[in-house]
Amino acid sequence: MVITAPILMDTLPSAPTIRPATAPAPAATAPAGQAAPAAETLIDIDHVDFFYGQSQALHDVSLQIEDKKVTAFIGPSGCGKSTLLRCLNRMNDLIDGTRVAKGSIKIRGVDIHQADVDVIELRKRVGMVFQKSNPFPKSIYENITFGLRLQGVTNKARLDEVVEKSLRGAALWDEVKDRLNASGLGLSGGQQQRLCIARAIAVEPEVILMDEPCSALDPVATAKVEELIQELRTRFTIVIVTHNMQQAARCSDKTAFFYMGKLIEYADTRNIFTNPANAQTEAYVSGRFG
Amino acid sequence: MEASSPASHLLVNKSRIRLFGLSFDDCIRVFFGGNAIVSIIVLALITYFLFREGAGFFGQNRQNLTVYRQAGLEYIDFIRAQQDDHTALTRYLSDLRLRQFRHYTQEAKLPVADANAKLAVFDDFAGQFGDTVEPIRTLVSDLTEQASAIKEKFTVMEDKKEERRQLMAEGRKGDADRVIITPVNFAEELKPIIGTLPAYKEASAEFSRRIEQVLATAPVLPTPELQVRMDRFKQLTREYLSGFPAVVSHLESWDYAKPVPAVQALTSFIFGREWLTASFWQDWYGVIPLLVGSLMVSAVALLLAVPLGVGAAIYVNQIATPAEQKFIKPGIEFISAIPSVVLGFFGIAVLGQALRALSQASWLSWVPGFPYSERLNILTAGCLLALMAVPTIFTLAEDALNNVPRAFKEASFALGATRLQTVIKIIVPASLSGIISAVLLGLGRVIGETMVVLLCAGNRIAIPDFSAGLAVVTQPVHTMTGIIAQEMGEVVQGSIHYRALFVVGILLFFLSLGINYVAQIVVRRYRISIG
Ligand SMILES: Nc1ncnc2c1ncn2[C@@H]1O[C@H](COP(=O)(O)OP(=O)(O)O)[C@@H](O)[C@H]1O
Ligand SMILES: [Mg+2]
Repeated sequence: MVITAPILMDTLPSAPTIRPATAPAPAATAPAGQAAPAAETLIDIDHVDFFYGQSQALHDVSLQIEDKKVTAFIGPSGCGKSTLLRCLNRMNDLIDGTRVAKGSIKIRGVDIHQADVDVIELRKRVGMVFQKSNPFPKSIYENITFGLRLQGVTNKARLDEVVEKSLRGAALWDEVKDRLNASGLGLSGGQQQRLCIARAIAVEPEVILMDEPCSALDPVATAKVEELIQELRTRFTIVIVTHNMQQAARCSDKTAFFYMGKLIEYADTRNIFTNPANAQTEAYVSGRFG
Repeated sequence: MEASSPASHLLVNKSRIRLFGLSFDDCIRVFFGGNAIVSIIVLALITYFLFREGAGFFGQNRQNLTVYRQAGLEYIDFIRAQQDDHTALTRYLSDLRLRQFRHYTQEAKLPVADANAKLAVFDDFAGQFGDTVEPIRTLVSDLTEQASAIKEKFTVMEDKKEERRQLMAEGRKGDADRVIITPVNFAEELKPIIGTLPAYKEASAEFSRRIEQVLATAPVLPTPELQVRMDRFKQLTREYLSGFPAVVSHLESWDYAKPVPAVQALTSFIFGREWLTASFWQDWYGVIPLLVGSLMVSAVALLLAVPLGVGAAIYVNQIATPAEQKFIKPGIEFISAIPSVVLGFFGIAVLGQALRALSQASWLSWVPGFPYSERLNILTAGCLLALMAVPTIFTLAEDALNNVPRAFKEASFALGATRLQTVIKIIVPASLSGIISAVLLGLGRVIGETMVVLLCAGNRIAIPDFSAGLAVVTQPVHTMTGIIAQEMGEVVQGSIHYRALFVVGILLFFLSLGINYVAQIVVRRYRISIG
């Protein structure tokens, strides 16, 4: 089953209407940080300033990410999309000298930067897929079960079940079911990225963060991953960073546009692309800079 | 440039510097290429030299073994082996006495005098058993003298031949002719020795009879556990006795003229359990004691160096703060700057002493082999070699860890792994082959190291007694590198001993080569697996 990009283009713009809780999307909702009233807020980013050592990468960013929606971060390179994304599961902790200088990030009302928050638990609940696919140099099976084994699951039947479910969930099962014990590094680029998605969903997170998951893939593989995102949106809250405006338009419910570390505009995807409130947003989405 | 048109001006080679008709570029090429070739030529020369000097060994060793046979030494050693086996049995009895003594003094809490009194019967038995060998012993010592005399005659003849050869080479034919060479007629010389066969048979029968008699008087020992050992002794003795006919048939079928197979010159080196030089009886060039010594010392060194080196590498690469890294890395790498003779000196003066003192601490007496008295032994040398291997293992393992893509680490953390889980389950497996090759190169470093083992391994040429279990590491050994360094300066150039040392060198060379080769294969596989 190969779905080509043009078909996706046709089907996807109508996708938001399938879902019940979409805001009516009038132009007036344009100002940043304004959540759609009917949707439940999962992640509340509140006036965040972020620093790499002395250099500030995020300036007073506020936005609410809604539950079981796809939120896209767009903006020119270096504007802080990845930085914000990596704040959400505290991956920035791994870099020396980083800090959130001001503001807070709350997931279901819990401030994730508080001292008593268990980072390990946080990362189990907020999974991540990286720009460059990075399966472990282990078998496909071991890749998927890695997270569960960390949590102490050893029951073979349960692991088998999760492997199948995750691979089906990542639309990879049919391609790899006969070689689960082969190395994950032996798969094609697109398959590797879907393996990484399967690995992330195997631990049943609430949120999946994706940092330009398709930037290293060819168009066919990209289409598959985008299709997968459509399937995952019912079960997970997805935050996706993308460089590709069409991708944001096709896949996401809401879009946040960043520029120079500031959130410029955050609104329903349709509005951002058809009727942006901000001149900079307009210039960017219409391809005049970026 | 006075070129006429701009186009031809471009085509003219502007380089005016020429040496022997070569342009500047060519000179540079020759310079670098030359350097590479020089190192390869030197390597080839070393290999050639090593083999040229070593190859002569096998001919000489065969000659050595032939004389051993022709002068009747081999014949006598059959009987001597019988005597030695008997000595081993008496040692078993001494050990048994010690155990009984301990039983009486420690468990039964008897005073020493009483314990000795209780052992009187046993001592009598052991003494009688020891005396049974007398007839054989007398025979062997007589024969030894005769055979030595034959060998001596042969040696004199060889010396005279050599002297004449040298005089001829100097052109002094007259002097050369005056050198008298008395050929040795082995068949004739051996007659008296072989003639003792009936006497031997008689002595052997007498020996066997006496043992049977003494064995019948074996006392019953106080505990079942000791009695089991006594029964074992009886069984060993019976096995010993049942081997007597074989000795006789060996002696009967022995033929001084039977040629020594060429391959034995090699096998007696590779599998020889004795390295015995400048002995009055027979020299043996068996590499096993040295090989085992080298391997034991290396094994102890690796056992210590691998956890230290790899552990430090993991810490520095994965856990340490940049400040710690700045301090630890040069620190460890500095160890390799210490001259090995200084380390050896330190080993003798400090480490050997300290370890021995530690071994004598009463609270450590449960450690196998503790307390021990030999200050210089496998353990001391192993500890120092470990210190020398740590920088190699550390640096290479750290490189391997560094080569693990950061993405693996991030993916692992993003799945909720702790730092420790990430290191154990992702980083180390991903760099495992790199780490293995680091360990192998560390092994290569250790096996080739000379100064430290020469100074600290104790230099006793004997296969360590493995029946001691782990305590074997407290025994002194000699090593392949150590023996070369120690004996090379003293041997006569071109002698069999000199060549034997070269063959040890060749073996060492192949060992290092093999280790490096395996390490390279592992590294190549590792590059592929990271993909
Ligand atoms: N590890 C880092 N150390 C220092 N500065 C960084 C680091 N990562 C990113 N930055 C800086 O932070 C800013 C935002 O980067 P990033 O979030 O990666 O941008 P984007 O993903 O939008 O392209 C950039 O100016 C970048 O140079
Ligand atoms: Mg980025």
